[in-house]
Amino acid sequence: MDAARPAGRALAALSGLREPVVWVLLLIAFFTAISGKPVDGVLMLIVATGLAWDAGRRALRHPGAGAGPVARPSRRPGGRRRLLAVAALLAGGAAYAGVVGSFSRYSWPATAGIIGLGTIVVVIGWHGPLRARPDGGRLPLAGTLAWIVVLVAGCLWELASLLQQPSLTTDSYSHPTISTLTDPLLASSPGRSIVLLGWLALGWYLVER
Amino acid sequence: MNSHEVTIAGYLVAVAGIVLMQVLATRTRAPVPSLGDLLTRAMRTRTGRVGVLVAWAWIGLHFFAR
Repeated sequence: MDAARPAGRALAALSGLREPVVWVLLLIAFFTAISGKPVDGVLMLIVATGLAWDAGRRALRHPGAGAGPVARPSRRPGGRRRLLAVAALLAGGAAYAGVVGSFSRYSWPATAGIIGLGTIVVVIGWHGPLRARPDGGRLPLAGTLAWIVVLVAGCLWELASLLQQPSLTTDSYSHPTISTLTDPLLASSPGRSIVLLGWLALGWYLVER
Repeated sequence: MNSHEVTIAGYLVAVAGIVLMQVLATRTRAPVPSLGDLLTRAMRTRTGRVGVLVAWAWIGLHFFAR
């Protein structure tokens, strides 16, 4: 099947629906949209559709290959250049956190800043890791399952709090979500900048994976 | 304890669980992968990689964006 033809594109997108990540993103898009954040929902829907199409297209071109690993050749600068690059990134990150943190939450400038950086990071990630990393081999099954239990339990606790609110868009003192608990911190410009620095650090850590 | 405190205690238990798992992974010989190993494994495929990065982007959107 030619993935460039309309029928081929549709088939590619449909076969990409076999990827669990696509369904997770579609669920996030749905729940985000009905929680009063339609922009987030639409963005998640766009990524889910693109990922489904991309995964399906690759599966049709290379049957049996699945969603295999993608790696770029390592091109990490060394010595002084690396130091300069790190210093520039740190300065850029601090400036970004300061500027975007100065904008009110849920304002259009803050939204543009987050969407802009998020798009850049996701596009970089779409093309593969920044540098080749050794294959760590198989993870121990019991330990991996224990991690999944802990992380899923945390997510379910948050979901339970969300569902016990008077409505999805109304906070509850009795059953606060993480968003509600962080509201006081994010009410001030320095608080927002600190949280943004943490978000940037996490993003950099993930891009480096 | 009222329901507010119970809810917060639940979050603290979840955070303690994550810290405990990470300590087990990095400070003992228990067969537990670190969170970094888990993320690296999840990000070996393009869909996993994009999924994790989109989850990160979603956190920013959720807390700051309209």
